[in-house]
Amino acid sequence: MLQARNLSKSYNGTAALQDLNLEIAAGEIYCLLGANGAGKSTTIRLFLNFIDPTSGEALVDGLDVTREPLKTKHRLAYIPEQVMLYPHLSGMENLEYFAALAGHDDYPRSALEGFLVRSGLQADAHDQRVGEYSKGMRQKVGIAIALAKRAGALLLDEPTSGLDPEASSEFARLLMELRDDGVAILMATHDLFRAKEVGTRVGVMRRGVLRTEVDPAELDYADLERLYLDHVREGGDES
Amino acid sequence: MMKHAIRKEVLEIIRDGRFRWGGALVLGLLLLSLVAGWAHRAEVSRAHSAAQEMSWSHWLEQGEKNPHSAAHYGIYVFKPVSSLTLVDQGVDPYLGVSTWLEAHYQNPFAHRPVQDTPALARFADLTAATTLQLLLPLLIVLLAFQSFTGERERGTLRQVLSLGVPAGRLALGKVTGVCVALGLLLVPAALLGALALFTAGPGGGAVADPGVRFILLAGAYLAYFLIFSVLAVGISAVASSSRAALAILLVFWIGNGLLAPRLASDVARSQVELPSAQEFQQAIQEDLTEGFGPHPSRDERRAMLQDSVLQAHGVESLEELPFNFAGFSLQSGEEFANLVFDRRFGELAARIEAQSQLHRWIGLGAPHLAIRSLSMALAGTDAAHHERFSSAAEEHRRLIQRVLNEDIMENGVYGETYVAGLDLWSDVPEFEYQGPPVAWAMAGQGAAWGALGLWLILGALLAGRGAVSLRRRT
Repeated sequence: MLQARNLSKSYNGTAALQDLNLEIAAGEIYCLLGANGAGKSTTIRLFLNFIDPTSGEALVDGLDVTREPLKTKHRLAYIPEQVMLYPHLSGMENLEYFAALAGHDDYPRSALEGFLVRSGLQADAHDQRVGEYSKGMRQKVGIAIALAKRAGALLLDEPTSGLDPEASSEFARLLMELRDDGVAILMATHDLFRAKEVGTRVGVMRRGVLRTEVDPAELDYADLERLYLDHVREGGDES
Repeated sequence: MMKHAIRKEVLEIIRDGRFRWGGALVLGLLLLSLVAGWAHRAEVSRAHSAAQEMSWSHWLEQGEKNPHSAAHYGIYVFKPVSSLTLVDQGVDPYLGVSTWLEAHYQNPFAHRPVQDTPALARFADLTAATTLQLLLPLLIVLLAFQSFTGERERGTLRQVLSLGVPAGRLALGKVTGVCVALGLLLVPAALLGALALFTAGPGGGAVADPGVRFILLAGAYLAYFLIFSVLAVGISAVASSSRAALAILLVFWIGNGLLAPRLASDVARSQVELPSAQEFQQAIQEDLTEGFGPHPSRDERRAMLQDSVLQAHGVESLEELPFNFAGFSLQSGEEFANLVFDRRFGELAARIEAQSQLHRWIGLGAPHLAIRSLSMALAGTDAAHHERFSSAAEEHRRLIQRVLNEDIMENGVYGETYVAGLDLWSDVPEFEYQGPPVAWAMAGQGAAWGALGLWLILGALLAGRGAVSLRRRT
């Protein structure tokens, strides 16, 4: 579903991502760990074709994202670290707009409500203006937007930042449901605990390089943490 | 998809305080200017027809006198005020609205309201035309300058672009959203305008086809607003920040609305010089007394006239002529003067038209000049309409002189005092003016329509290209 082949990106000679090879199949949750600046967001931005790769390719369903930018984006849903919405519109209106832009302009209100409920947004907030929302509530609308898109692959850039533990746990359960529905999920995260809980695979990145890949089922939480720290600390200072 | 995209833009705009306040203000000014225009037009129209009727009844009741005295007594005629004047007064306040038809002389137009107002007041003139040409574009700029930069700054652009929406459609949705929001203001204003137009009365035949003219006027203004909408959305797509977009658009607004007209007048004036009023009158006086081209001076003309008329009729003295020489002499004096007026006024009109044409070409560089030209032409208040009325008035003046002079020729006796009765005054036809059809008004306006079309295409290209380039700056 999602594939990176020798994917590299450098800015003015500085490598942000180096020779990433990655394959995420339908029904998999791949958690990308790493410090800030390790190349996690760069990977997601390359899949979204917001930036062009310096070399290598990013594929969605076998389609190169630089050659088929619209088609590949139709098969992706994206939740950024900070979901940004239109403050003058309600959560419902935001969802309706984004869903329509994504090609789903025929959802009845009940279906849209269903997405908001499933993403955990309390019913009395649906018709409030987003300007009055907390960050967590906006994040939930972002999740609903991704659900409404019914995409085959999900790109998540630290999606649970700003969610309280309960919401974060609900979100994890939602991810596992999607996984079971056959969605391929790539999630960049700092949350080792969640990565261990939901990930079918976990990769650790440092300075643009994917250092190691593990199956979290084979490790307990302490092992994973040790592994992570080993890799991000390796070679000295990392901020 | 487009339906939702447009709906979102409109919702955002109308829930934004800027639109509510700005829109209410502009709509208020627009309605006020229409009502003021309606009242002004009704008052002026009434005053004009009353004055013209009074002048006509004075003419009819001037008592028994010599026809040539009556010719000097004269008649005032007033330019009928088109109902569309309530939208655009055009050059009327500057060129005058009435003229005096008297013997020997084509008088310049008088009653220029501008002469009675201090120079500063000209800037404060609230007409529908200034509201539509200057304030509405400013509102469009304020509504649309953030359409893309705002999304980028707020962070929503990245999410929108992650959806796989063709960039052109995104831009189209934004332009349409702005237009729908504007429609909320303009549709009521246009309806009121149409109502005012149809209740304003016929306007004494100032223009033909007022309905078609109104529709074209609405179309031209719509195109003008569309230009600003696509430009604003386009600039917002290519600008680096909302601030930069606003600055660029305000500079364009100032250049378009305030600098371009000034520049165009200066260029037109320097390229095609107009004589001062004094020089103009002096040139006419010189032509009349000294003659021009093959035509000899006044004294020679007089001597030649007597000789040739005596010879033609084979008589020795003026008394023996079969008609009164006084009338014949007056009429030939008129006819020579008419040659002078045709030549001098014709030259002046050609220069004014050359300036207008230059204006229209310069208008390719600023849509305001194009819309101004179209607006005045459609309202029937531009220089060409003025010139046409002026020619009709002059033709009528010549007709009056001919009727009166022929009466002197027929009924007067040379060397004796002749007094005509009241019948003669009513033999002179009353002045009636029929304004030109819309096709006549549009004949010289190709460049102006072309300018609007050109800017529309430019703006659409900018918006389309800009939207495509958005990805690189997420």
